[in-house]
Amino acid sequence: MDFDWLFFAEVTLAALGNSALLALTGLAFVLIYKATRVVNLAIGEMLMVGAYLFFSFTAGLGLPPWGAILLAVVGGALLGATIERAVIRPMLGEAAISVFMVTIGVGSVLIGLTEIIWGAEPTALPDFMGKAPIFIGDAYVSRKVVIGFSVAAAVIAVFLLAFRFWRGGIALRATASDQAAAYSCGINVPAVFSLAWMFAGAAAAGAGILVGAVGGIAPTMGVFGLSALVVVIVGGLDSIAGALIGGVLVGLLEAWCGTYLGGEYKMLATFGLLMLVLLVRPYGLFGTVEIERL
Amino acid sequence: MDMNRRQALSLALGAGAAVSLGIRPSLAADDIVIGGSIPLSGVFAFAGIGIHAGIQDYVKIINDGGGIAGRKVTYLAEDTAYKTDQSVAVFNKLTSQADIHLYYADSTAFSKTINAELDRKKSILMAGASFASELNDPKKYPFQFISGPDYTQMFDILLQYVAKTKPGAKIAFVHSDTEFGRDPIAAGQEKVKALGLKMTETIGTPPSAVDVSTEILKLRRANPDYTIFHGYVLAPLPEFMSQAKQMGLATKFMGTFWSMDNSLWAKVGDPADGFMGVMPYRYYYDTDGKSPMLEKIRQMRPEYQSPAYMLGFLTALLFLESATRTLAAGKPLDGANLKAALNSLKDFDTGGLIGVPISIPGNSIPVGRVYRFDAAKKLMVADSDWIKVGG
Repeated sequence: MDFDWLFFAEVTLAALGNSALLALTGLAFVLIYKATRVVNLAIGEMLMVGAYLFFSFTAGLGLPPWGAILLAVVGGALLGATIERAVIRPMLGEAAISVFMVTIGVGSVLIGLTEIIWGAEPTALPDFMGKAPIFIGDAYVSRKVVIGFSVAAAVIAVFLLAFRFWRGGIALRATASDQAAAYSCGINVPAVFSLAWMFAGAAAAGAGILVGAVGGIAPTMGVFGLSALVVVIVGGLDSIAGALIGGVLVGLLEAWCGTYLGGEYKMLATFGLLMLVLLVRPYGLFGTVEIERL
Repeated sequence: MDMNRRQALSLALGAGAAVSLGIRPSLAADDIVIGGSIPLSGVFAFAGIGIHAGIQDYVKIINDGGGIAGRKVTYLAEDTAYKTDQSVAVFNKLTSQADIHLYYADSTAFSKTINAELDRKKSILMAGASFASELNDPKKYPFQFISGPDYTQMFDILLQYVAKTKPGAKIAFVHSDTEFGRDPIAAGQEKVKALGLKMTETIGTPPSAVDVSTEILKLRRANPDYTIFHGYVLAPLPEFMSQAKQMGLATKFMGTFWSMDNSLWAKVGDPADGFMGVMPYRYYYDTDGKSPMLEKIRQMRPEYQSPAYMLGFLTALLFLESATRTLAAGKPLDGANLKAALNSLKDFDTGGLIGVPISIPGNSIPVGRVYRFDAAKKLMVADSDWIKVGG
């Protein structure tokens, strides 16, 4: 039987959409870990709050989508800053496992608050991406996939450039390398921590809007954050490029396995890859060698 | 009075404890007691809140009418967050505090876990939120029942509708790769063959899947006339339907009970137009035929109530009808007598909650109706008559 290359191309293009969502969420993990060495398991719930904020601004207040996106991203950044200042900073100096557990608690609190404020029912986000399909050659691609991938790629590129050229980004990298040295150079390390959480909150909110646009929103949607955790472990917990490449790898692997072997093989393939990477490169494909694991 | 932080905290905790104790209904020795492990928080809270309200309302109706044979009905329930260990803990706590006769279970896992204890106690009749086909086995689950068709029977109802509407139609199943999602798949595939339909594709999606673009591409290649979803509430159904429309796919989409809440689809809007599914109960707003019980519900709660509410309400109705029949026969309220009373229901009128008289020969009510979402009306409208399948 002839191999259907058009179908393969469509599946591959579709996979890039999922890859983009994973990479953007992974970016939020990486930003926080890179600056503060905290593995933030509440990232999925921060993503969820971003999606609900967007929902409130569009469906509730009737704002245009661009305004709602902007406000939701700002809201996500404020949420990140609040969590850092109120919960994470008092934990400075405590064992990594304690901070890790606190982030699990923060996630539960965010779920509870979401259920109180917005209710427990799943719902759909208002359509803001349009419906016309896009064809690349003969291959069909969903509009949401194209938009999601473009946004995620642009955001990751901006962060890569910011870390390379912007003063704040350089301060963040310096803090990540050596906190004491960063202090001695006059860098305001607590402010850098806040900045990292704000950026992560903003990235998570953006990812939440994209995830919600594809899959709808519910207090349980934070579980998507756990899928992204696999991506950053594969890519390297402190590597932004690793989040992107890990996202693409996991997205493609899941799509190909799901299509040609069956949906039940998706998770098997993903976690198989995770185990393989941990065995061969325990710090991830692009992670710094000495990073500590929990 | 000066108060330090610790004293203030103690006072607040004390007040909280007093409030929680205060909301527990007082219990008399001869009360008929319904216990409940109810998911008021967690992933299933959207349903648990409705179920809880439905049970409370029916209990209120009965108590306002003087109870059953002069005995008051008391409903004791606690939140489980949809966690099996917590559901078991609530069961143990409530059954140690009160003489429970009837019990509402929040999940398939809990129904299966607690079954041995029900068999040991022999004093409780249980039903719940699970429509798992496995529970529809009176030998294995003698003290349990399902307040509707099980998932296999739901598929049966949908497939009978398809076979009648479009004989020889091509069918695809899309299910979540969970115990819930896989439940009716194998039996459904057999039923497709038996009804002369053609199975073209079965697609499983991982439980955490958000983007289903690749699955939609598979569906396009299969090009079925009908696609039946199972194992989901809302996501990823709207995405499937919206992308299928973009691709010009003519397949009709169908779902099972937990995907049939009208309020969910009303929010989805146009992409949901034409979505069909099986419902064992009338919708809150249904006015066709006589339905005095729905009238009563609408009087008690003027705003829309979900199918989960109807499930809770009907379960309480069946619980208490069984209790009424047991007491009328002069028998003690134990598991065997309550179950026998339930199984004695023949052509029983549920007050219009279900559009036809029902019988419960085993552990389920094998009847349902196909509804279709009309986006212009923002309502699920009946698309078939009530369909009975083999019990």
